[in-house]
Amino acid sequence: MIDRNTAPPIQKIQSIEFICPQTIEINAAVKLLWTKNVPNETSRIDLYYNAGLRNGRNIIASLCSSLLLSGTKDKSTTEIHKQIDQLGAFFDIGLSHEGVMISIFALKENIFEAFCIINEAIQCAVFPDKEISEKIRVKKEKHKINFGKVSFLAQRKFQEKIFYNSPYSELTNLEDFDNISKNEIIEFHENFFQKGLFKVAVVGNIKESEIDSIISKCKDSCIDKPLEYYTAFGNFSGVFHEEKQSAVQSAIRIGKILFNKTHSDFIDFSILNTVLGDYFGSRLMKNIREDKGYTYGIGSAIAETGGSGYFIIGSEVGIQHREPALKEIQNELEKLCSKEMSHKELELVKNYLLGQMLKAADGPYAMMDLFLSVDTYALNMDYYNEFIERIHQIDPKEIMSISQKYLKWDTMSVVSVG
Amino acid sequence: MVSFERYKLKNGLTVLLHHDKTTPMVVVNTLYDVGARDENENKTGFAHLFEHLMFGGSANISDFDKELQKAGGESNAFTSNDITNYYDIIPAQNIETALWLESDRMFSLAFTDKSLEVQRNVVIEEFKQRYLNQPYGDVWLELRPLAYEKHPYKWATIGKDIAHIENANMEDVKSFFKKYYCPANAILCIAGNYDESGIKSIIEKYYGSIPGGLRPSRLNPAEPKQNSFKTKVIYRDVPSNAFYYGFKMGTRKSSDYYIGDIMSDALGKDNSSILNIALKKELEFVTEINAFITGSLDDGLFIISGKLADGVDFDDLDKALWGQLEEIKRIGIDNDKLESLKNKINTAKAFQEQGLLNRSINLSFFELLGDANGVNEEGFIYQKISCNDLILFASDVLIRNNCSLLKVAINDR
Repeated sequence: MIDRNTAPPIQKIQSIEFICPQTIEINAAVKLLWTKNVPNETSRIDLYYNAGLRNGRNIIASLCSSLLLSGTKDKSTTEIHKQIDQLGAFFDIGLSHEGVMISIFALKENIFEAFCIINEAIQCAVFPDKEISEKIRVKKEKHKINFGKVSFLAQRKFQEKIFYNSPYSELTNLEDFDNISKNEIIEFHENFFQKGLFKVAVVGNIKESEIDSIISKCKDSCIDKPLEYYTAFGNFSGVFHEEKQSAVQSAIRIGKILFNKTHSDFIDFSILNTVLGDYFGSRLMKNIREDKGYTYGIGSAIAETGGSGYFIIGSEVGIQHREPALKEIQNELEKLCSKEMSHKELELVKNYLLGQMLKAADGPYAMMDLFLSVDTYALNMDYYNEFIERIHQIDPKEIMSISQKYLKWDTMSVVSVG
Repeated sequence: MVSFERYKLKNGLTVLLHHDKTTPMVVVNTLYDVGARDENENKTGFAHLFEHLMFGGSANISDFDKELQKAGGESNAFTSNDITNYYDIIPAQNIETALWLESDRMFSLAFTDKSLEVQRNVVIEEFKQRYLNQPYGDVWLELRPLAYEKHPYKWATIGKDIAHIENANMEDVKSFFKKYYCPANAILCIAGNYDESGIKSIIEKYYGSIPGGLRPSRLNPAEPKQNSFKTKVIYRDVPSNAFYYGFKMGTRKSSDYYIGDIMSDALGKDNSSILNIALKKELEFVTEINAFITGSLDDGLFIISGKLADGVDFDDLDKALWGQLEEIKRIGIDNDKLESLKNKINTAKAFQEQGLLNRSINLSFFELLGDANGVNEEGFIYQKISCNDLILFASDVLIRNNCSLLKVAINDR
């Protein structure tokens, strides 16, 4: 009979090998990153443009990025999409404050051609009136639907408070959809897509000559000096609630301005964040879901911007649970500031984080994504080795002191809707 | 090509092994052949509630997640109308921890009152978050009972009614476990960089002594053939009128599934799909239109859904939509388009197979269908589909007498 009461021995992860992609300079400010060693037929190309929300009115940045494939003077949008389909390729367009990322996915024999079609469509976009008005209709509709969701309303209110008094606090309102000029879109496109490419990442076992062609086709749309990011954020702290009739849950968002990976406390805070709310056994999940049953889920995260970053806790709780849930969240933060966690709990978090790190480094795509997420801040793979070293070293006292430094309740913006 | 080895333990547990030496991880996937379709009509939502309870401690281990996290692993699960699937992702060197944990909860649960009480509340909050607290959230709660009259697909996985979850008691929990959570009713798939020489003995060590149990029989009422068009209007506080056309189609194992999949891509998957071009771009009747299939193990649904543009009424859309469907039945779709769709399926499959977790879930699922090797065969099935297959499918499935239409109309009050 086996002994089911005793856990099998565990082997701790000591180190992980991180592999950098090859770097090729397109110009002094822009590089192409390439991971060639992919053990299958798949490939991906990411194009990064300096066309984020921060560079114009939200509505213009958002329309422009979603109209990139809306047609050129030679091809209609339907023709462009048909060509991409024929190659069995997919693409994805992501918009943030800092930029637009376009990812192209295809089998390696088709990726170069898919890139050519998409790149040309982006560079030569003419923004036909009919396409603009269709996109406005669709976006307006989505916006109205979103207004029916407490999570969306809370996120908006949170954005106002977290990015208080900065360009990042601008919100899109329904009336913005009726106040759009085509010229504004065209001008945005000229400034930030035709002259806004700031990074290219390629994963896939494609030909050298194809990489050379990608570089030469990208050259003209590259930026010529490094980007600068807004850094002077300060959140507006306090507790803010907004009623929403007929809601059965309240959405909660709590957070404050912090920093990104370039800050010397980032790694310690990341470990603290995991303890608090970034895994299934976190303090917040254990208390608010698994003990009280107030919610289906609660979590915390660090979100980075180009020049800064912020901490956020998010959850949806039954409306009758809103006040007790807020109180419990506050208790959890205060507990971390006033009481050292046990070695046992910290040991668990350490092992969990190391396992996550190993998983995050599994395969060529994951490895490229790890690299991209440090390269943005002019760091390199050493960052992850430092992270691992720090995971091994950090002790409960240090977790408490980083909590005291950053988790004071009265410094938080506390938002709820519902 | 996803290679694998299959064998059965004496207690009836089916085991699939898929070795991959390029990853540092291992996935332990356990599929139980039980879903919402196995529930009693007066106790719906139970399979899913039970999935939550599986994390509430087992016979010898009080905290499942804690032990897994200590070994650097993580875990999750999902329940559908057909199956309940659990997975653990863990560094390969600690695979034994995952087997210890998974086998103990297959052996027996702790059945604590606290866990039942808390998870009832958690699931009620999940019900609110997903189905009640957002525009169009309750569509599937309405569409299922409209489309299905007899088959248990008429209720959603979350359950028919919150009251069913509130009333779940410990007796129900125990008998559900006894009936469905036994080796004979499960498929275990281990995927990743495990030690090939020792894996079988370690599986035997943890699973071999669990009593096999009986594979429960399934006697679900068959859904009678639909003979007339059904429709229902519900009024909600939503920003625009929305429509959901549901057509009955064949099972996951029938050719309907593959043809229906391509047909739905052709009609409404993306910007260049037929309905997007005709109804959104050209006529401007809708702001959004999609087509997809549910892919259920028993007879499934082919769905066309979307939202009406301002000033367009349901009847305008209805006429235009049927016009498009008639056209398909007459001429099918052109060959270039069909080739494009097949190419996209190829690419999607290649990307899907990149992921270790996907591979292990797919192997388990195909084994449930009859043979895990289906993973390697479905690509060929798609490639063989012809324009004529699509015409036949459309003529057989996309017809008015086979259709249930749910309209969500703006509440004018």
